[in-house]
Amino acid sequence: MRDRAAFDLLYRQTNAKLFGVCLRVLTDRAEAEEALQEVYVKIWTKADRYAVSDLSPISWLVAVARNHAIDRIRTRRVKQTGLDEAAEIADPTPGPEALAVAGDEGARVHHCLEELEADRAAAVRGAYLVGESYAELAERHGVPLNTMRTWLRRSLMKLKDCLER
Amino acid sequence: MTPTDHHEPELGGDEALAAEYVLGVLPASERQEAARRIETDVDFARLVDRWEDSFSPLAAAYVPVEAPAAVKQAIDRRLFASSKTAPRASLWNSLALWRGLAAAAVVALALVTAWNMQPPAEEPAAPRLVASLESDETDVRYLAFYDETAQTIHLSHVAGARAPDQDFELWVIEGDEPPASLGVIATGERVDVHPEETLRTKLSAGAVLAVSLEPGGGSPTGQPTGPVVAVGDLRSI
Repeated sequence: MRDRAAFDLLYRQTNAKLFGVCLRVLTDRAEAEEALQEVYVKIWTKADRYAVSDLSPISWLVAVARNHAIDRIRTRRVKQTGLDEAAEIADPTPGPEALAVAGDEGARVHHCLEELEADRAAAVRGAYLVGESYAELAERHGVPLNTMRTWLRRSLMKLKDCLER
Repeated sequence: MTPTDHHEPELGGDEALAAEYVLGVLPASERQEAARRIETDVDFARLVDRWEDSFSPLAAAYVPVEAPAAVKQAIDRRLFASSKTAPRASLWNSLALWRGLAAAAVVALALVTAWNMQPPAEEPAAPRLVASLESDETDVRYLAFYDETAQTIHLSHVAGARAPDQDFELWVIEGDEPPASLGVIATGERVDVHPEETLRTKLSAGAVLAVSLEPGGGSPTGQPTGPVVAVGDLRSI
């Protein structure tokens, strides 16, 4: 079956990257494996969405995986709120500021992030890579949630200006 | 974070919602709402795509980790267990999708659009050769795309790291001839290699490409000295 062979090949070529995305966001191996299954089921069934997207294939695949992992973590954390795990939520794993930024250094977005204050750029990177919520970002930076939202939206405004320049 | 002046403009409206959705900062309920809008509102979906595209270089920081085989088996059970395939499966027969997503076009997956080239359907019949470079013994994987017109090999690094003091070197092998070096592969997700004329002839003939692990700076002998960590046939698409 031609389409199945294509899917197998696609899986072989892309599973490591997408699993890396799920692992990073979910930080739990078993959950990441489950999420990865759901991601490829989604890719198979929603391939028609790709046809109308302007994204490059690999960007589209990463977006599907990231959004799915973030949806999972968001609903997971809602359920856990008020439980003992709250302590864990308040202490997100290694500061995203410390994350090495690999590859594609010349990309526009890196240049534009450098135009932001260091801590604000770190907040944007952290949100993107590990899927931190407004609530978590506010907690980590010790500011009220609305302040965090204002800061991030100002950063996004500057980014947009820079990206369109 | 330092409180700066209060007159800095903020991103607002749909543009902000799209960016926040892509970053992932929204709470569950607002994410669901945004996801619904993506399905029903073309303009909003386009805003989301634009932010996905702008931020996508950040995804280079995700370290690839090969998923355990059990995951693929579970996916196959979910998708292909019954004789009836998934309802949307027929879409995979769509030629456009094939060119974008699948088959030898998996190479196109990382490459064709990644280098902002037109999809093959709209291109004049310029010869294009692709190879998937891999090996069962290692996790090193590159996709190679040779554009004869531009006389350039586009390499996309899919997986596998080199040690800090070592380099990957690219070789072209035609028939029984000894490998000819195409040089050390620079680090990075996408690397362009510009072969000299004699080597271009070999490439056009559909030679084999190989990646060997060499001391920093490349092979001192002009021939591969370390193990071949990935290899693949150049084929036309």
